[in-house]
Amino acid sequence: METNQLLEEVREINLGYMLLAQQLLREDKIAAMYRLGISQDVADIIERLSSSQLLKMAASNMLLCRFRFDDRLIAEMLSNQNRNQAVSQSHAAILMAGEPAEVIT
Amino acid sequence: MRNKSILKEAKQIQLATELIKLGARLQVLEMNSNLSRERLVKLYKEIRGVSPPKGMLPYSEDWFMSWQPNMHSSLFINIFNYLTKHAEIEGIDALIKSYKLYLEHIEVNELQRVLSLTRAWTLIRFINSQVLCIAPCVRCGGKFLVHSLEIHSNHVCGLCNIPSRAGKTKKVAAAAANAG
Repeated sequence: METNQLLEEVREINLGYMLLAQQLLREDKIAAMYRLGISQDVADIIERLSSSQLLKMAASNMLLCRFRFDDRLIAEMLSNQNRNQAVSQSHAAILMAGEPAEVIT
Repeated sequence: MRNKSILKEAKQIQLATELIKLGARLQVLEMNSNLSRERLVKLYKEIRGVSPPKGMLPYSEDWFMSWQPNMHSSLFINIFNYLTKHAEIEGIDALIKSYKLYLEHIEVNELQRVLSLTRAWTLIRFINSQVLCIAPCVRCGGKFLVHSLEIHSNHVCGLCNIPSRAGKTKKVAAAAANAG
């Protein structure tokens, strides 16, 4: 794939992610903060973004969202096929819920 | 206590309704709303179509220590702690919200609903009274429910070290036999 096309896809993911995050927050803020793994401050900012601000943010060459399983272990659990899938998912959920939320510093 | 404000009473009824729908026992309702017992019983019958079960609540803290309940209740308490820490929500509202998120996890992963709302409520009380607490697993770093009085400096969780009979309950065996 050409670089331009790849960058286009990055921007598309960004837009999709931001729109989804905003929709989640507007529908049920508390549940959304858990799902997105973000703190109150970040949630407030995303919730208040206007459409044009959101578009500007999304038009970046870098992805705005990142992997939540920084830990090698969580990645291993989510992809591990040998163990019972539901048990692995539960283990991963326990670890992710126990991680600190994404905050603004 | 008699409610003076109709709006407040409406809120109380709404809360009680939500709790009943999630499967709360009468004792949980009584502790969390100031509606009279008669009204709660009536409400319960109206929603569930049956009288509320009598008898004592499940009270054993050891229940939370066996493998499957520990996995479920540890997940619940992690969600609960996340919400109370970050989302400015507390008390019974935090319990309802976290329980719903827990149920979502159960549904997505096709697990059994091991932790009832009443158990979840009891769990929070055990934590508050320091009968149970959470300790990090030395292998995965996840936070898991443990007895407060045990030594946790070297705790390995049941998910890093799965016991051989884990999850092989009679129910599961019966379901497998039926399916096969």
